[in-house]
Amino acid sequence: MRRAEARTYLIVWASLLALLGMSVGSAFIPLGKFNVVINLVIACAKALLVIIFFMHIRRSTPVTRFAAGIGLLWLALLAGLSMTDFLVRMF
Amino acid sequence: MATSAHAVTDTELRTEAADFGMWIFLTTETLFFGVLFFGYLISRIHFSAVFAAASRHTDLLLGTLNTGVLLTSSLTMAFAAANAESARKRPASRLLAATAVLGVAFLAIKAFEYYVDYAHHLVPGIDFAFAAPHAVGAAAFFWWYFAMTGTHALHLLIGIVIVLVMVYRLHRATRTDASLSLQITGLYWHFVDVMWIFLYPCLYLVART
Amino acid sequence: MTTSAAEPIGTNYLTAGYTLKSWLTTQDHKRIAILYAMAITALFFIGGAAATVIRIQLATPAGNVVSAETYNKLFTMHGVIMVWFFLIPSIPATLGNFLVPLMIGAPDLAFPRLNLASWYLYVFGAIFTVGVLALGGVDTGWTFYTPFSTMFSSTHVIAVVAGVFIVGFSSILTGLNFIVTIHKMRAPGLHWFRLPLFVWAQYATSVILVLATPVLAMTLVLLALERVLKVGIFDPALGGDPLLFQHLFWFYSHPAVYIMVLPAMGVVSEIVACFARRPIFGYRTMAYAIIAIAMIGFMVWGHHMFVSGQSLYAGMVFSILSFLVAIPSAIKVFNWTATLYRGSISFEAPMLYALSFIGLFMLGGMSGLFLAALALDVHLTDTYFVVAHFHYIMVGGAVAAYLGGLHFWWPKITGRMYSDAWARFAAVLLFLGFNFTFFPQYLLGIAGMPRRYYEYPAEFHTLNVLSSAGAVILALGYLLPLLYLAWSLRHGPQAPRNPWHATGLEWQTHSPPLQENFEEPPTVDHDPYRYGVPEGAVRAKRHRHA
Repeated sequence: MRRAEARTYLIVWASLLALLGMSVGSAFIPLGKFNVVINLVIACAKALLVIIFFMHIRRSTPVTRFAAGIGLLWLALLAGLSMTDFLVRMF
Repeated sequence: MATSAHAVTDTELRTEAADFGMWIFLTTETLFFGVLFFGYLISRIHFSAVFAAASRHTDLLLGTLNTGVLLTSSLTMAFAAANAESARKRPASRLLAATAVLGVAFLAIKAFEYYVDYAHHLVPGIDFAFAAPHAVGAAAFFWWYFAMTGTHALHLLIGIVIVLVMVYRLHRATRTDASLSLQITGLYWHFVDVMWIFLYPCLYLVART
Repeated sequence: MTTSAAEPIGTNYLTAGYTLKSWLTTQDHKRIAILYAMAITALFFIGGAAATVIRIQLATPAGNVVSAETYNKLFTMHGVIMVWFFLIPSIPATLGNFLVPLMIGAPDLAFPRLNLASWYLYVFGAIFTVGVLALGGVDTGWTFYTPFSTMFSSTHVIAVVAGVFIVGFSSILTGLNFIVTIHKMRAPGLHWFRLPLFVWAQYATSVILVLATPVLAMTLVLLALERVLKVGIFDPALGGDPLLFQHLFWFYSHPAVYIMVLPAMGVVSEIVACFARRPIFGYRTMAYAIIAIAMIGFMVWGHHMFVSGQSLYAGMVFSILSFLVAIPSAIKVFNWTATLYRGSISFEAPMLYALSFIGLFMLGGMSGLFLAALALDVHLTDTYFVVAHFHYIMVGGAVAAYLGGLHFWWPKITGRMYSDAWARFAAVLLFLGFNFTFFPQYLLGIAGMPRRYYEYPAEFHTLNVLSSAGAVILALGYLLPLLYLAWSLRHGPQAPRNPWHATGLEWQTHSPPLQENFEEPPTVDHDPYRYGVPEGAVRAKRHRHA
């Protein structure tokens, strides 16, 4: 394993921990609804780091990458279409 | 894809097929966990204030520590797989062992958290007690909390077993090519980590102000 | 493995090992297909036994063959077994497993050991579920609606839900295996638009399996958790939402019906083209329609919940989408009809089943349109109209296609020919028995007879008697193939490679196939369904009309 690869892993790891720190820290700042947004954005950033640099998704074929993404899309379908019911009934 | 002009080598095909297969499996896992997130979301909208109150009862310190543990285990897993790719069995084996140890550490901390919740009467159905008007919403929060962390812990446990099996196979095998198995194992392990990355803010970072 | 160009019989997949162990540890997709076939046949007859008792009970208005509680258990177990242990695995795990590698020119599936694991998971799940029968059954309906299933039912709900969870995992792995196989292992020259429609159908089905089943799996876990902890997540009396369960349940269970019907459509395309001696009309459109059915099928689940308390707005959205999903299905029916038009049609047993499918699926599908209309559904939902609707599709459609496929590929799978006379007789019997059983149920539903009731008012008596009588004929239609197909294994004449002069790679190889499928990996340089072209015109010459 080349040193460049090892360095990449360590930088990613350090970034992940830094992002963790940021999300904990921001949780103590009262920003109302924005807290949720920040936490989600940070979580997405961490996830992307893991998926790109640890799971090497860029090495996978386009079809594989599509398969990887469709789970999220399908969840969005479940959530989105059921919201036509839940949002209307709960508000 | 398989009909392109150049002859796809057998190893290339095996690698692509295994990678594709594991990502499809991870997609099914995304949907499996996704239902938990969705249900939690609905409950949270439904019970909003009470959910917030209940959320403060998760242990922020232990949860954050656990997140760090799991993120580090992804690091060791990534290194292990990279070492296997360069056919360096000994370092790979040691890094796999480190990954497993970190996984066990996570589970131990989680078990402790569960025990504390039990002692504080926060396990629904088992002597649950919460400030009277909020009992239902709080019970709902903890119901999702245990369902989500429990599902995650089970997946982590399976991951630990697989990692240990990989350690065993590395030691025993005469053939040196463990790189594909570790690549695939790594995908599963990192996925379990990604699930926790999303679980953590939902369960530990709500209403901390 | 040895191959013999001269005489195939001695070295095929059936003769490559006679021990039980060689079967139970096989990685050969063809053997696994047979293992599945035996298992699902057994489960089919168990589910059918439940239906038999139901029809006996319903033969009289104040039926007292069984108690109300037992009746609830009967229709529940009938549904659970037929849906998860017969219909969903039927074509994919048997015909799909056997044929997909052959049709694409591959030696096996992408992950043979995973395939065997899938079968063991199926069997394990089946043992759980049949075990629950022995423990007294479950009375929640196959839909497990909350809060009854979580708070009030005193039957073994968790055990049966565990069985379904396990078998769900089996189907996820099968779907995964098929997707990777079809993407990665096609023979040289076999690009996507040269694939038989059966393969397209298996592919779309596999995508649904992979995207829908995990949602069911977690829903069942939550159901079990609620049953243990009784917090009230799905119980309105405790501030929970029963519709949360229903949304999650139907998000899987509606696409599930497309898991059942798409493979059937794939079979029908293969049979119709062959016995009309014509290429499928509008091949690409048929392929696109398959994908469209699979995709839109995920967007209509709320039509099961029109009267459950769902918001009217959601009702309207799901109603429109449900009408939309009918369009690609209708296109397929039109294209099969167009394939038949000016074809050189012969009526061997497989064709009788395929034609049954087209007619009965059409009737069942059209009745679905009635149910998709919100106002009509208020009257028709939870009546026998719905029962008739889904039985027309599942039995008149999917089961007929399964039997048709079994008869079509029987010579390839077993190397034997069966008696076509008996087979045609059974097919006709099935068609007649089926219609006598289920058409009256449309009328009963319109007249207002509710489903899942163990007794009914006297005004519904005549139609129920007709239905129960039809069920006797239907049962005969199911039993006959068991007999003459089994008989053919010993006494049937040896089958040639291509008894029907059909196109497709599976017909180019031995009957039964070699263990490794092909002596040499084939290459493909033409479109599918080359009927009516010189090489395929043997039968057309004999049946040419002016």
